[in-house]
Amino acid sequence: MIGMRKFTRAEATAYAYLTATLVFCLLPFLWVVLASIDPNASQFLAFPEGITADHFIRIFTANKGGRWFFNSLVTVGAATAIVVIVGGMGGYALSRTDAWWKRPFLYAIILVRVLPPTAIIVPLYKVMLVANVSMGALVRSVVPPDSTRSAMQIFGFVDGYLGLILVLSAMQLPLALWIIKTYFDLTPKDYEEAALMDGANSFQRMHRILVPLALPGLGAAGLLCFIGAWGDFLMPLTFISSAELQLLPIGLFRAFQRATRVDYGYLCALAMLYMLPAVVAFGLARRFLVQTFTGGIKG
Amino acid sequence: MATISIENVRKNFGAVEVIKGVSFDVADGQFAVLVGPSGCGKSTLLRMIAGLESVTQGDIKLDGKRINDVPPDQRGIAMVFQSYALYPHMTVAENIGFSLDLKKVPKAKIREEVGRVAELLRLSELLDRRPAALSGGQRQRVAIGRAIIKQPRVILFDEPLSNLDATLRVQMRAELQRLHQELRPTIVYVTHDQVEAMTMADTIVVLNQGNVAQWAHPIELYRHPRTTFVATFIGSPRMNLIKGIIASKELTPSFTAAEGWAVPLAGRNLSAADMQPVWLGIRPEDIRLVDANSAADLSGKIAIVERLGAETYVNVIKGTETLLVRVQGDIALRPGDTVRLALDRAGFHLFDQADQVFPA
Repeated sequence: MIGMRKFTRAEATAYAYLTATLVFCLLPFLWVVLASIDPNASQFLAFPEGITADHFIRIFTANKGGRWFFNSLVTVGAATAIVVIVGGMGGYALSRTDAWWKRPFLYAIILVRVLPPTAIIVPLYKVMLVANVSMGALVRSVVPPDSTRSAMQIFGFVDGYLGLILVLSAMQLPLALWIIKTYFDLTPKDYEEAALMDGANSFQRMHRILVPLALPGLGAAGLLCFIGAWGDFLMPLTFISSAELQLLPIGLFRAFQRATRVDYGYLCALAMLYMLPAVVAFGLARRFLVQTFTGGIKG
Repeated sequence: MATISIENVRKNFGAVEVIKGVSFDVADGQFAVLVGPSGCGKSTLLRMIAGLESVTQGDIKLDGKRINDVPPDQRGIAMVFQSYALYPHMTVAENIGFSLDLKKVPKAKIREEVGRVAELLRLSELLDRRPAALSGGQRQRVAIGRAIIKQPRVILFDEPLSNLDATLRVQMRAELQRLHQELRPTIVYVTHDQVEAMTMADTIVVLNQGNVAQWAHPIELYRHPRTTFVATFIGSPRMNLIKGIIASKELTPSFTAAEGWAVPLAGRNLSAADMQPVWLGIRPEDIRLVDANSAADLSGKIAIVERLGAETYVNVIKGTETLLVRVQGDIALRPGDTVRLALDRAGFHLFDQADQVFPA
């Protein structure tokens, strides 16, 4: 009996500790949720006296929240697509090759993830600036003068979609290559050879066999890429300056930095909007994560 | 249906030569088995016939036409992989019909063909299942179905039974033979299991270190092995090899074992081979245990008795040599007992120092 009571007490302590940790972690999130619908939101956690959608409406009416959201989706979505396609093909190649440079290459690309982005941002900006000058010359030679500016907003390496997309995908690609390469390592070559014997050409082997087989790995890599790029702050801050190209995290940051008075309700509504796609992406691709990190192909 | 000719084929992986000039033929409708220990090159050779590996030197011919450079899918060859390699994201029906689907055969026609093959392989109930929901034997049959739906001229099998348990393996052996009788395709089958080779093959190619050790009918291989490698590889339990020399000065030549005992070698022309060191090969079933009243060739001490029920394997020690004797039924013998052995003269095989049959 005494032993039993002792065990229960230890258990109770554990539960108390875990509950305290949980509350501590959940409180900020709860504050964001409550404040986003509280007409009198403040910097203190309080249960709202009424419910309003006003903060959300203001994001899209009084500010360019819709445009920020769109910018974020376009750049992060495009970066994810690039990472999944390039990472898929590269990961496959890295898995199947016996080249001597395979290991050095794999460790070299992971360095990109290891180096703190802040440390390399200045040289990176310099490189992009040079590339932007060349791109500017190219765009001016092709596009009529009155639409040069809008073309550069798409194709510019600095203060343009393309530059940000490339930088974001370059940051996320190494991890994706590792994940997909490892996934293909677990996928026996027999499937491809069986398809080859069945008469599938290289496109059919990719489309009918490899992509379906590698889907969990591609999905997991894509999800991690999307979440990573969506949460990135430094790159959009550095490479985007035009107001109309602003991304959500920067909009959120500027809302907090306002000189006069912080509008907490608006801030929290914006934070909710910012969290939403990451949560949705996670919900959609969660099973890929589980499949990828608990062991490859079954069949 | 087709004949296959392998003509002086070589294969290098980098600087390593794994197939060292292999030649043999498989006749139309024949069941040929490539057998050998792991690393002998049998799977590589099979993959070269399939077109999954390039040929470094020599020719592979199908119906007399060189196919070295024909892409795998245009050779009219199907292959059953050791891992089965069933596409896990497709149902059984989709797996079997995949090759037809790639050829843009109309859906109704594919369904009909898949149905026909499924019936032949008793898979009709399983067509909507995924491979993960099948047993080992069922997966094996799907893999075979995927091969035969193409109506290939040749079917290649790469150790297809190695992932099955012993009972199922015996069952699938019979199943494969039944299919071969019904469809009569030319089959090349790779295995390291000499029992599989002996039971199924019309012709066996024994490979050793990238060379053909012997190529013959199973019983021919068993009765007349041309090297000590084939002699000991084919047959279970393996053939005894006893070290000794030939004495041919007398009227009847004889074999004198290193351990001192001797047996006459009648009916062989060994006059030129006096004092030549040789191996005497004799299968365990060609050695008899005899009682004190019968003539014996040697006696020895029992080391181990293995009782299998229908037969018993007795390990007899004579000096430094161990002889394996196969006795019908169960016998009341114990380790330590001394036994007298008589050797059946008709079961003698002589091999020279280079491990080749002697006289050649």
